[in-house]
Formats: sequence, structure tokens, C-alpha cells
Amino acid sequence: METIPKTEESQATKATERLAYSIQEAADMLGVNYFSVYRLIQRNKLKVCRALRGKLLVPRTELLKLLGTE
Amino acid sequence: MNYYERPTPLQEQANIEAIQHFVEHLNQFKANCDALRSIECNLSTTANDALKSALLSPGRVIQTDDGTQWQHDLDLSSVTSVCHRRTVAGLEFAVVECLPLKSGEIKEVLNSGHSVRDVLRAFTHDQRQVLNLWKEDVKAQVREHLDEKYPRQDMGIVVESFEIKMARAISETRAVTQSQSRGIRI
Repeated sequence: METIPKTEESQATKATERLAYSIQEAADMLGVNYFSVYRLIQRNKLKVCRALRGKLLVPRTELLKLLGTE
Repeated sequence: MNYYERPTPLQEQANIEAIQHFVEHLNQFKANCDALRSIECNLSTTANDALKSALLSPGRVIQTDDGTQWQHDLDLSSVTSVCHRRTVAGLEFAVVECLPLKSGEIKEVLNSGHSVRDVLRAFTHDQRQVLNLWKEDVKAQVREHLDEKYPRQDMGIVVESFEIKMARAISETRAVTQSQSRGIRI
């Protein structure tokens, strides 16, 4: 009985987990300034995708890879 | 704002609001343009100082992630420095980035070569490309922000004003470099 709320909670967490982050969010997560993030992108250390209007998005998996937590 | 078109009051309001929203991007962008300009203006002096340092003092050792060892000559910024190492072909210089991520430090060679001036030139060229990437991304972010905040309103003039501001900051950097190097081979 006790596991039910936990499962629901973890499902809810998964549902709210983002697939990609903006440059500002990526900079916060990595603990560096914006320029450093763009530098990592420029030399392909951090792979990005583009949103509809061309905005750069950093996939969560790429951030985790760089943070060594994947 | 566009010099040939008068913005509407709504566009003016959107422009002020967007500047406030993206103030951190604009401030950091300007600061990095200024820092790059400073490196470009002092390229010759920096190259000479790095060369002197390489010849005279041993400098602290930095081991990059590829396993190579470099000796620190001077800092270009809080995360980049000019380093050298001795090879069979003579001194080799590099701009090394030590980027402290939350998970640990990345130590990577950004540019390298046997001429310290060429290494610095390649470095500043690459940094300018990064600034252009940054400019294009902010432009896209501003467009997205305005589309969401002012749906079905033409905010092209506001997006353009951001692009002009940032392009001007980059081109000022380039103009200074060109005027500094005119007639003088650095």
C-alpha cells in the first residue's frame, strides 16, 4: 500500500522531467556563464537541437553526459 | 529600433520589456565582446609576453584531458590561458580552457601551434564565431518571447533592434582590430 503513492510520485516526476533546456538553464545546471555554454556548443562538446524559431535547446541527455551523471 | 521606420507605442513597450527580460544575455554579451576586443588590441603585446614567459619561467603545469602537459604562461580570461610545451620541433603554444563545471573541470586545448601570434589569432577568430552563434540564438529567443507575449502583432522591428545592437558590438570589436593592424603586421 505504501508503494502506490511512491510510484505515482515517480511517474509524476518523470512526466515533468524536461527533454531539453535553454542556454540559460544549461548554464545554471553546469555552473558556468552563457559564453562558456556557447563555446562548448561551437566545438561540439555539447550537442544541441533547434526549436521552431531557431532557438537553441540542449537535450537533457547531453547535459547529463557532460555532468557525468548518465 | 529601425532608423527608417517609426515604432508604434506597443513596439516601443515590447522593446523595453524585451531588453529587461534579456538583460543578463545583453550584459554578458557586451562584457565578452569587450574582453575579446581587449585581447585583439593587445595581441602583439600578449604574444611577446607569452613568448618571454615561455623562455624565462617554467610556469605551473596543466595537464589537459587528452593527457598532454602544458606550462602556463599567462591568463587570457578567468577560464582561458596561453600555455606552452617543448616538442622536438621547438616550442608549441596553446590556448587552454580550464572550465570548472559542477561535476568537475574540463581542461581542453582550444587552439595550438608553433607561432603564439597565430594561435592567438585563431583563438580570437573562433571566439568571434561563438559571439555570432550567441547573437543568432538571442535573436531567436527574442522572437519566440515576443510571439508568445504579443501574439499576432508584428514585432519584427524589435527583433531587428536586438540584432543590430549585438551585431554592432561584434563589429566594433572587428573594426578596432582592423584599425589596429592597418599597416602594421601583428
